[in-house]
This record gives sequence, C-alpha cells and structure tokens, in this order.
Amino acid sequence: MPKSHQLPPIKSASLTLMNFVHAYRINILGVIMGIMFGFLMSRAGATTFDFHAKMFLFEDMQLMKVIGTAVVIAMLGVFMLKKFHVSAIATGNEVDFVKKPYQQGLIAGAFLFGVGWAMTAACPGTIPAMVAEGKIGAVFSLIGLLLGTLAYGILQSFIANNGSYKDAFKQ
Amino acid sequence: MDVTVWSGWIAGIAIGLFVVLHFWLIGKPAGCSTGYGNVCGMLCKKVRYYHEGEYEKKSNIKLWFLVGIPIGGLLAALTSDNAWQVSFDMGMYEQILPGSDAAKAIWLMFGGMLLGFGARLAGACTTGHALVGGAMLNPPSLLAGAVFFASALITTQLLFNT
Repeated sequence: MPKSHQLPPIKSASLTLMNFVHAYRINILGVIMGIMFGFLMSRAGATTFDFHAKMFLFEDMQLMKVIGTAVVIAMLGVFMLKKFHVSAIATGNEVDFVKKPYQQGLIAGAFLFGVGWAMTAACPGTIPAMVAEGKIGAVFSLIGLLLGTLAYGILQSFIANNGSYKDAFKQ
Repeated sequence: MDVTVWSGWIAGIAIGLFVVLHFWLIGKPAGCSTGYGNVCGMLCKKVRYYHEGEYEKKSNIKLWFLVGIPIGGLLAALTSDNAWQVSFDMGMYEQILPGSDAAKAIWLMFGGMLLGFGARLAGACTTGHALVGGAMLNPPSLLAGAVFFASALITTQLLFNT
C-alpha cells in the first residue's frame, strides 16, 4: 500500500467516526429520540402503575393532563410544520405526515388493547422504560407483548397462505 | 420505587414538543408498537409476516427507537429522588391481582398479550394512535384512541369496583 494513502491515526479515526455517524444517522437519531421518550414517559408518571389506575377511577388526572396537553401542543406544532412546509433534518425531504389508515379489526383490536392496558397498567411505549426502572412486573408484560405481537404475525402468515401452514413459515 | 414525576402540564408540554421534534428531525410520525414486530421478526425467522412489506428491513428507526426507551427510563430512575431498586410491587394493583407471584406473572403476561395483539390489530398503540394520530386529527386514530380509553376505563372500573 503506498504511503501517500495513509492518514495520521487521529484524523483517520475521526473520519471513520464521521462516516459511521453519517451512515447510521437515522438509527442514531432513533436511539436518541427513544432515550428522550423513555425519560419523558417516566417523568410524566406513565411508568407508575398507580397513575393508570387512578386516571380510570377518576382519582388523579395526572396522565389525562399529560396526554391532553401533549396532543394540543403537538397539534399546534404539526400545524406550523405543515404551514411552513418544513423539511426533515435527517432526510432533507418535506415532513411526511403519513396517517395510519382505517384497517379491518381496528375497533376489535382497540378494545383488546384497552383491556390489556387496564390489566397491566402499561402500554407498549412505557413497558421498556418500566423494565429499566426495575419493575419486575413489566418484564412479564414485555414477554406477553412479544407473544401477542408474534401471534398476530403467525395469524397473518396463516391467512395469507389460505389457512395452510405448509408455506406460511418458510423463509 | 417511586420515580420523580413532574406536574402533568409541564410533562404534557414536553411530550408535545417531543412529538413535533420527532417530526422535524426524522420526518415521520413517532410510534412504539411497530418496533415489536421487528423484534419478533428477528427472534422468529420463520414467521413470514414479519419479513415482508414494512418489516423487510428490520434495523430501522422503529427498532432503534425501542432500544432507546429503556436507556431513557434508566436515566429517569437514576436521577430520581429515590434510589434505583428492583421490585415486584404493583402499587394499587396489589388489591386486585392474585396473591402469589406466579399468578401475578401469568396475569401480567396475559395482559401483555392483549396489548401486543390488540396494538397490531388496531395498527398502532397509545403513542401512534392517541398521541401522534390525535395531533394529526386522523379520524381512524381518533376512533382507536377513544376505544382504547373507553375499554380501559370499563375494565379498570370492573376490576376495582366490583
């Protein structure tokens, strides 16, 4: 290898690091956003079991205040982003306000989800934060959550193959 | 056990700003429960559904967002007034949950299954439908959010008041 192609170690390391950060910028931003989300959920009280029960028993409206305020603020923010056609920092494209479509089973799914919410006093976004806070109960909720998600995937694979599992579970 | 909790208004404003920041930085709505599909696809190589369509590429923002959440939760617990500790105490739920630890674990796993299956059937969880979908005033999300709250309200009332 010719000597002229070699850079000093520090410069080489910093270029490698910059390259890595640029290549994986979306995933790195994802982790940072996840950290913020977990922290805020915890500070909002959404990782405390009692606040969920108290909200539905009308004893303490902490979580209702949180989600109500958050939706109003986010609504204003979305309105501003739309109005000024802001482009996303990570991609450079205009922000995509892709909306979840109506899908068959939405009401049934939402009903089952609500029962699960009341049973575990947690939701998918708060369970990982609860686990990290040392709540053993959330570990079991997490196991159940993965099993439930898996069950849906198995059901969908099954349906897509007309009820035959011969080809449903092939790679 | 107890983590420090901010006033509901302050925390709500912070989460609202977080949703807007997520839109601005990433360019897509924030969501939690879809990431669990990526995890299932990584754990079970044979379930075809989690290897097709939106789950084809699994190392995406949805997955890494999920990786960040426990780090944030840990930071929040470590910076709380009370020391970090492991506990199986369920607070108010101790009154209504079965007494033995094994029965409690089975109860929570069953509830978790309903969360996971219901979230996929409805298309998103509380974050994706109620928070972000509500902010975009997306009609299916508003409907799903209303059903989430109504069904959890009825179940909690039944659990504690009957």
